[in-house]
Amino acid sequence: MSWIKEGDLNLLEKISANVLKAGPMPKHVAFIMDGNRRFARKKNMERQEGHMQGFNKLAETLRWCKHLNIPEVTVYAFSIENFKRTKEEVDGLMELAKQKFERLLEERDNLEKHGVCIRVLGDLNMLPLDLQELIAKAVVTTRAHNKCFLNVCFAYTSRYEITNAVREMAWGVEQGLIKASDVSESLLSECLYSNNSPNPDLLIRTSGEVRLSDFLLWQTSHSCLVFQSVLWPEYSFWNLCEAILQYQLNHKSIQKARELHQEHQALQQLEADRACVAEHLQHHGNGKPADAQRRQEALLHYTACREDRVQDFLEALKHKRNSFFSDLCSKPVLA
Amino acid sequence: MALLYGLLWRLLLLLVHVNTALVSWLRVRLRSWKGRLWERAVAALLLPVALAGFPDQHKKLNHNPDATANPVTGNRDDGRRARWLSDGKALEKLPVHVGLLVAEEEPSYSDVANLVVWCMAVGISYVSVYDNHGIFRKNNSRLLEEILRQQNLLGVDGSKYSIEFLSNGSDKHNVVSCRPTVKVLSPEDGKQSIVQAAQQICRSVENKERSSKDISVSMLDVLLRESKNIPDPDLVLKFGPVNSTLGFLPWHIRLTEFIERWYCPTSLWFR
Repeated sequence: MSWIKEGDLNLLEKISANVLKAGPMPKHVAFIMDGNRRFARKKNMERQEGHMQGFNKLAETLRWCKHLNIPEVTVYAFSIENFKRTKEEVDGLMELAKQKFERLLEERDNLEKHGVCIRVLGDLNMLPLDLQELIAKAVVTTRAHNKCFLNVCFAYTSRYEITNAVREMAWGVEQGLIKASDVSESLLSECLYSNNSPNPDLLIRTSGEVRLSDFLLWQTSHSCLVFQSVLWPEYSFWNLCEAILQYQLNHKSIQKARELHQEHQALQQLEADRACVAEHLQHHGNGKPADAQRRQEALLHYTACREDRVQDFLEALKHKRNSFFSDLCSKPVLA
Repeated sequence: MALLYGLLWRLLLLLVHVNTALVSWLRVRLRSWKGRLWERAVAALLLPVALAGFPDQHKKLNHNPDATANPVTGNRDDGRRARWLSDGKALEKLPVHVGLLVAEEEPSYSDVANLVVWCMAVGISYVSVYDNHGIFRKNNSRLLEEILRQQNLLGVDGSKYSIEFLSNGSDKHNVVSCRPTVKVLSPEDGKQSIVQAAQQICRSVENKERSSKDISVSMLDVLLRESKNIPDPDLVLKFGPVNSTLGFLPWHIRLTEFIERWYCPTSLWFR
């Protein structure tokens, strides 16, 4: 079945969508699509069929998001923890993923028409090579599209993602691109797999579980969390509206909390810069304490240098990541 | 047309607020009713805005018919304490670490202290208190006073349940201590701590003590727990109308269960 479902909303859905759109709308929604296996048990079908239904529901949800003007969606498709499931189920899921990505490549014209950019986030080297190559093709093919964005978390956990970001920063230090003192909250955010996306405004988990299960722990620190008891394959337009309504009710207070956090972050960066400058002046000064003006000039200069260093490092990181995908694409696809 | 939708949206929000207020008001009234059937009927009539199961739990602790009612206060306190402990033991599984996430503009010290004391009484060994403004951290002496006061009020003997109160600084000792622990947390313990650990790692890479390839999840985890040994919260109780973690320990909440007072799956309401 297709990734893109065409079709309009019915009249009642359209009216509800318009009412919701009168209020603040999330620009980025994340889904933990839980409940496929329970659904399969409930309907007496094979687990694999449950996962298929789950994928169909994803396609439908993307259609609703498009009509609600939500340009970015992130989904938790496969956790690193899921590798612990039976070999049969894991192989089944890998096979399903291969089919879906092959289908995606067949639909590339349609994807271009709708401007869909697909990104896959995770420790992709844990996946079978042929799946990696398919993923790379999908990512490279849709890279330039910019109307809407779908981020699929595959072989992903948040702790691995944060650790990888630390590793990248350490790599930057090894390469002499940045200093250890440049490490900050915003730099770490820029090194995550999700660095091309803003933080999710809304995180929805279905099937009634009330955990985050190692999903976007860093990025959702100031997001609206909605836990819904419906199973993912049974998710409806009205469930989505309910979640968006919750977002709207929480919008002002979460916004305030976000701004408070950003202010705090900026203050911390300023203090860190000041400390570095003070240390530098102490070592390179001529023994006399520097006056306020000289300190201020030194601070501005230091901040500008740091920002340049960080920009160069991020460019190098982007190049490294793009090469990873391009190299996979240039390999011949195994028949 | 846009104006009409705008008005409809405001009306929708108003309806939700009215419904929430009504449910809250009814809950207070219904506390005196013993009939669960009545509660279910009312809940079914209203919109699915369920309230957390937790208030049911401490309702049980508070309003238990006093089977060991005795004119001698000491015996009654012992009886109450014993009942709380047995309530705790009656549960299949007790969380090791319960986090109290207070997302209110003006948090109530006595309510929070109450909860802390109840948690301890039921047998929970580690309770953390968090708010995203750092209010509790700034006023931790006031919170400690309030906790001690509540302990006395509820007849929980201070010396038997001496609480280890940790606010700032490192708690390098073993988590497996016999004394129940209360820890006051703020946003610095979240992303900031992760950044500090990252800086430490990068400094050791800068000094050629380590390579970037050596960095693993367990390394980062161990480093985080070296300075502040906070166990992963099993359960977080959220208070206040905001549906967000507001920066609470991002690394540690990987598998934490969140109970919200305002919105929660109806299945939990019926438990």
